[in-house]
Amino acid sequence: MIRKLQTCFWIIAWLMLLSGCLRGPVAWQRVTLNQPLSAQDVSFVVNGKTSLPEIVEKLGAPNQMLSSNGGIVARYQFTDGKYFRVDFGWGLRFIIPFYSPDLVLGGGGMSADVFQVTYNDHWVVQDHGFAFHSQSSEFRLWPFKD
Amino acid sequence: MNSISSDDGEVLSTRFRGSALTTWLVLMILLGSGCAFVRGNYGEDLNQGDISTIKKGVSNRAEVASVLGAPDRIITEPNGHDIFHYYHYDVKSGYVLIFSRTNIKSDDIFVIFNSAGVVEDVIAGKKKPPLEFQFWPFD
Repeated sequence: MIRKLQTCFWIIAWLMLLSGCLRGPVAWQRVTLNQPLSAQDVSFVVNGKTSLPEIVEKLGAPNQMLSSNGGIVARYQFTDGKYFRVDFGWGLRFIIPFYSPDLVLGGGGMSADVFQVTYNDHWVVQDHGFAFHSQSSEFRLWPFKD
Repeated sequence: MNSISSDDGEVLSTRFRGSALTTWLVLMILLGSGCAFVRGNYGEDLNQGDISTIKKGVSNRAEVASVLGAPDRIITEPNGHDIFHYYHYDVKSGYVLIFSRTNIKSDDIFVIFNSAGVVEDVIAGKKKPPLEFQFWPFD
């Protein structure tokens, strides 16, 4: 009885230690930076009227400010990254204990929604625009497709 | 009428034990993929109280630097304005079995100086709500 318990203990301990080295056969991973902005969120912005403090009050501080010949450009960014992988060799570790090659197919992408505002010297909105690209990142199984 | 002999009972018992062990092993292997919750940050979280001590039209570059520290980035405008950019990133990552999700939040502060080196404006939005730990990647 004690011997059986010992065996059980060592099997469990071994599996628990193994968990540090094991990667699952399938993985979905996602990374996001900041919160998305919609066209509705920025509908209050009017070129030539809305000022910087009004925008900061409603949207918060921008993520980036750049200097350009046309004025100062402020950018709000939402970045979205997705990655998917399948390791077809994962199950081989149960057939060949000392050799388990990775046979991985997977793919993903990273993209960003950007809301950009250009201010004039008096910090009034000169022009603004949205670029929606975050939907273009996707979990991808087949990496060979063009 | 059929009756279960002691041999049959032993076979059934062995089978039951075998399937229980298999279930246990599969469960352990699945759980073996593990879970993790990780937190990280980049830069110092700037105190709103410190920011309020910066006075528009009064504070200069040196005073701003003494309150907020050296900026992470300096933007120079063609018309002589300088912008000090301070940023802080917060990261929360959750990993459960085969799913993982990492959320990153940035808090940015911009201090704009006029050509004389005096603060013209401070751009600091309301503090963003804290990030959540998530592991589900599909929402």
